[in-house]
Amino acid sequence: MRFRRDREGEWAELETILERALPRGLRVLHESELSRLPLLYRSAISSLSVARKTAMDRALVAYLESLASRAYLAVYTSRTAERGALFRFFAQGFPRAVRSMLPELSLSIGVFALGILVSYGLVRWDDPEWYFAFVDPSLAGGRSPGATTEYLRSVLYDSGDEGPTGALSVFASGLFYHNASIGLTAFALGFAAGIPTALLVFQNGLMLGAFIALYDDHGLLLNLLGWLLPHGVPEIGAILLCGAGGLAMGRAMLAPGERTTRAALTDAGRRGAVVAAGSVLLFLVAGAVEGIFRQTVTNDGLRYAMAFFNATWISAWLILGSANLPAFAARLRRAP
Amino acid sequence: MTEDRDGERLVHLITPEGADLLFPLASVGERAIAFGVDFIFSQLILILFVLIALATTAITASIQVFALMLIGVFVIRQGYFLFFEARLQGSTPGKRFLGLRVVSRDGARLSMESIIARNVMRDLELFLPLAFSSAPEQLIGPAPWYLRVPALLWVTLLVAMPFLTRERTRAGDLIAGTIVVRAPKTALVADEAIGQRSKIRFTKEQLTVYGEHELETLADLLRKLDSNRATDDDLRVVAGAIARRVRYEGREAVQQPALFLRAFYAEQRAELERELVLGRRVADKTERPQAKPQP
Repeated sequence: MRFRRDREGEWAELETILERALPRGLRVLHESELSRLPLLYRSAISSLSVARKTAMDRALVAYLESLASRAYLAVYTSRTAERGALFRFFAQGFPRAVRSMLPELSLSIGVFALGILVSYGLVRWDDPEWYFAFVDPSLAGGRSPGATTEYLRSVLYDSGDEGPTGALSVFASGLFYHNASIGLTAFALGFAAGIPTALLVFQNGLMLGAFIALYDDHGLLLNLLGWLLPHGVPEIGAILLCGAGGLAMGRAMLAPGERTTRAALTDAGRRGAVVAAGSVLLFLVAGAVEGIFRQTVTNDGLRYAMAFFNATWISAWLILGSANLPAFAARLRRAP
Repeated sequence: MTEDRDGERLVHLITPEGADLLFPLASVGERAIAFGVDFIFSQLILILFVLIALATTAITASIQVFALMLIGVFVIRQGYFLFFEARLQGSTPGKRFLGLRVVSRDGARLSMESIIARNVMRDLELFLPLAFSSAPEQLIGPAPWYLRVPALLWVTLLVAMPFLTRERTRAGDLIAGTIVVRAPKTALVADEAIGQRSKIRFTKEQLTVYGEHELETLADLLRKLDSNRATDDDLRVVAGAIARRVRYEGREAVQQPALFLRAFYAEQRAELERELVLGRRVADKTERPQAKPQP
C-alpha cells in the first residue's frame, strides 16, 4: 500500500524521537529534533485520519493511534522551557486571577466584616463573656475581659523577652507555615459548595471582632490596630483572597450560569488555585512582619507607616499587575 | 467521553488540531501505587533536607538556618508534585514508574494553573479523611449532628470520587480539568501485504465476495502464522474454504496454502481499499449482493 510506503519513514523518525523524549523530557532532544517534533506530530495525526478513513489494515490503524497519542503526550504536556515562569506567575498570573474574582472577593470581605461586627457587638454591648465563645483561650494568652488595661497594653508593646532576633525568625517562619497551610485549606474547602470556606472566613472575623471589642473597651483601639495592621494587612488580605478562591468554586457549583457545572467549576478552580498559590507569598511577608517587625518595633507611628506601606504596595501590585493600562485608560475616556 | 473496551476504559481526547485520540485511563489502583511511590520519595527528600538543615544549624550555630528550614519544609511538601508535574511533562517519579501522565481534559496544553489546582486540592483530599477518621472532634469540635452528618458525607464523597466518576477524576482533577492516562504502547507490526509477489491472481468477481470482517479474520490468522502459532491444518482448512467460496480453480490452495492466503489477503485488501475510495464500505460478506437470497 503506497500510503504506508510513503510515510513509514516519518513514523520511524517520530518513533525514535519519542523513545527519548517521553521518558526523559524534551530537554534531551537536539535542536533539530525539537523543531521536527511538531511537524512529525501533525503528520502522524493526518496519517491517522487518512488511515481511519481508507485503510483496511486494523493493525496499522492501531499503530498510528498509539503513535499519534504518544506524540500528543510529548507535545502537549510539556511546559515550554520558559525563563522567568515564576516571576511571570507573580507579576501577571496572580494579579489577573485576583481581579477576575472581584465579586467573590467582595463577598469574602463582607463575610469577614460581618464576623467582626457581630462579635464586636456581642462582646461590647451584650455580655463580655461572649469573648470566650469566639477566641480560643490558648490563643488569647491572658488577653481576656478580666485583664487589666496595663496588662493588655503590655502585650502590645512587649518585646525583647523573645530572645535574640534569630529566635524571632523561627517564630516568623512558624507563623508562615501555619497561616499558609490554613489559607490553602480555606481555598480547597470551597469544594464543598464554598460553605466551609465562608464559615472559616466568618470565624476569623469573629475572633478579630472580639479582640477589637476587648481593647476598645479599655481605650486601646488605636494601639491594637498599630500592633495588628502591619502584618494584618498581608495576612488578612491573603486569607480573604484564599476565601474568595474557595467561594468562586462554591459559586460555580451553586450557580454555574450558562456553562455546565463542571466547566464552571474547572474555570473557577483554576483561577482560585492561582489566587491561593499567590497568597502564599503574602503569608510569607505577613510572617516576616509579624515575627520580626512587630516584636522589635514598638513605636506606633512606625507601625502605622509599615501598615500603610504594606497596604500600598499590595494594592498597587494586585491592581496594576499585568493590567492592560492603555485599554483601561481608553475605557475611562469612553465612559460618560 | 469514555468507552470500555477489552476490560479497559478509554477516553476520547480532542486535540487542538481536531483529531480524536483514544487514551487508556489509569486505574485507581495504578494511581494509588504511583502516589505511594511519590509519597515515599518525597518523604525521603524531606528527611534528607531536614537532616542537612539541622546539621548546618548545629555547625553554624545560627538559628536563622533553622527558620529557613521551616520554609523549606513547606516548599518541599507543597511543591513536590507541582515541581515534577511541571518539569516531567505531567508526570512525577511515581507516575513515570507506572507510565502515567496528567493531560488536560479539553485536549489543550497542560497549563500551570491546572497543575497548581490539582495539587492544592491533594493535601485536603488526603489528610482531611485521615484526620476525620482518626480524630473528628479536633476538626469540627463538638459540632451538632446537623453539621457533623453533612461533613461526614462530604468527606466520604471526596474519598469515593475517583470510584464514582466515569473518568476516575478525584476532586483535584475536577477543578483542574485534568485526567490521568496511561501512555499507550504498540509496535508497528509487519504488513502482511508487503513482499508478496506471487503469480496467484484473482478476478474482480473473486474479490467481491468478502468484506472487512473476513479480511480482518484472515489478517489475524496471518499474524499467527508469522509468530508460528498457526498449524498447517488451520491454513489448509481456511485456504480450502476461501477457494471454494470464491471458486478459485488453481491447485495452490491445497499445495501452498500459506502462499495462497497471503496473496489473497493482499489483493482482497487492495480491492476493499479501492472500493472505500469510491465511497463504498463493505463491513462483511452479507453486504455483498450475491450473498442475498435470490428472489
